[in-house]
Amino acid sequence: MTLKTLNLNAFKPVWLLGLIPPVLFLLWWDHEAAKGGANALAFVSLAQVSQALADMLASGELGLSYGSSLGRALSGLLIGGGIGTLVGIAMGLSKPVEWAASPIYNSFRQVPILGWLPLIGLWFGSGDLSKLIIVALSAFYPTVLYTFEGLKQVEARLLDVGQIYRLNGWQTFWRIQWPAALPSIFTGLFQALAFTWISTIGVELLFSSGAGLGALMQQAQLQARLDIVLVCILFVGLTGFAINFLIKRLSQHVLSWRSIRA
Amino acid sequence: MKPDHLNLPPRLRGGRTAKRWEGQTLPASAPSVADKPRHLPRKQGRRISWKPILSIGSPLLLLIVWQAVTAFKLFPPEVLVSPTAVIAAFGEVITTGELQRHLSESLTRLAGGFTIGASLGLLFGLALALSKTVERLFGPTFQALRQVPVLAFIPMLILLLGIDEVFKIVIIAKAAFFPVALAAYDSVKGVPKSYFEVSSLYRAPWWVLISKILIPATVPNILAGVRLSLTRAWLVLVAAELIVADSGLGQMMEMGRQMFRLDIVMVGVIVAGVIGFALDRLFQLLQAHALRWKTA
Repeated sequence: MTLKTLNLNAFKPVWLLGLIPPVLFLLWWDHEAAKGGANALAFVSLAQVSQALADMLASGELGLSYGSSLGRALSGLLIGGGIGTLVGIAMGLSKPVEWAASPIYNSFRQVPILGWLPLIGLWFGSGDLSKLIIVALSAFYPTVLYTFEGLKQVEARLLDVGQIYRLNGWQTFWRIQWPAALPSIFTGLFQALAFTWISTIGVELLFSSGAGLGALMQQAQLQARLDIVLVCILFVGLTGFAINFLIKRLSQHVLSWRSIRA
Repeated sequence: MKPDHLNLPPRLRGGRTAKRWEGQTLPASAPSVADKPRHLPRKQGRRISWKPILSIGSPLLLLIVWQAVTAFKLFPPEVLVSPTAVIAAFGEVITTGELQRHLSESLTRLAGGFTIGASLGLLFGLALALSKTVERLFGPTFQALRQVPVLAFIPMLILLLGIDEVFKIVIIAKAAFFPVALAAYDSVKGVPKSYFEVSSLYRAPWWVLISKILIPATVPNILAGVRLSLTRAWLVLVAAELIVADSGLGQMMEMGRQMFRLDIVMVGVIVAGVIGFALDRLFQLLQAHALRWKTA
């Protein structure tokens, strides 16, 4: 599957085995679809799905929905992650802030993220603002947690060195605490990225007005267009895959300098 | 081992480090550069302890501000209801039995779906890790399906299964399946090869391999996966009930939203949070109980 296994010397087609179950499943699916009758609604043929894909691509519907979902996820990540990092820094640097904020943070965090949606919907309507708030919230939680944890775990001896050099508060933060906390902060951001994608799909399914992959799926479900739903799932899944891949690569790259003790 | 801080000249033992190590007696041999320490350690006991004050005070302050804002009618009641109104609504849904009915429906669903999903996930994860054939056959499909957020399957499952109980059980089971399967797979794969070598050296039959080696080596990680899957299952359950909205806690909230009953929505939010927290805590206790041999 990876390029390494495609090395000519060691070419063994064992990875092809992994294609057997999905291919068999698709063949069975297509067969059921071809039979029609009672199952006609439940099973759409592969031809129909690829037709739907082609139609949606041609009409620009897919691009539009995909773009707006991705935009929502990224702006949520930016807003929620930005605020979350700031709150995490405040909590990590100041004990009083930590004491005051952590009970509130921990109790709010218990509510399943989509459970906020009815409340936010009452306050801000079922438009883009409500969706953005929920998506930003889903990025906010992990960034706060990991920024805070990262700052808490700065080694005491590094801080002592800072004291010996008589660094002031800002210098201590910028030269010692911030770099030491960065790996943890990145971990939080990566988690936030995965969460924002999931919650984007969730909020779009629930408030299915407006553009977005989730909304497109929900509308297709109401019209019993399984082919469109499947195309959407494919794109949601591919994006999830791309995000996970990106996270893996980025963390290898970004976190490679981290101290050997970690 | 002597902490590094104690070797610092006392002048430098101010601030954070002094606080951390106060109460410990300094070794008499501690080198002292300055003749007189400029910062004597502050005496303990006289300081007001801010921690409990702040950590109880801040939520309290939030409640008071909330109550005050509603008392002065800064917002119309359909935008913000007072905490007392939320408590009243809480009493209302309890006396009418509405909350109990919705909650028991949700929890029954959760129990069913979670049990099915987690046990299938465990079996699948183990099979995937233990058999090369299974791994080659189903590994790629598993890894690919894992990338798709569970919520994205909701419209498809509604079309295939309808909006009945089956759909909700399946979606919860699916949410619970993947974290457990992944944890089981990863932790069995993480068992050192030497353990297997020892077991084959002793010609241990497969059930001994499983009961004496694999289970103790993998249970901690698998339980962590199960805990994650419980949290996920609760999240997906609330989402599914919000979308389908025919029964359960999610439906109560969605109906509250559509009828502009902010108080009921807030009760729902709080109950969802409390249940999520309680489930996680319960499982944590269970986990600690199951793993008590680790520290012993």
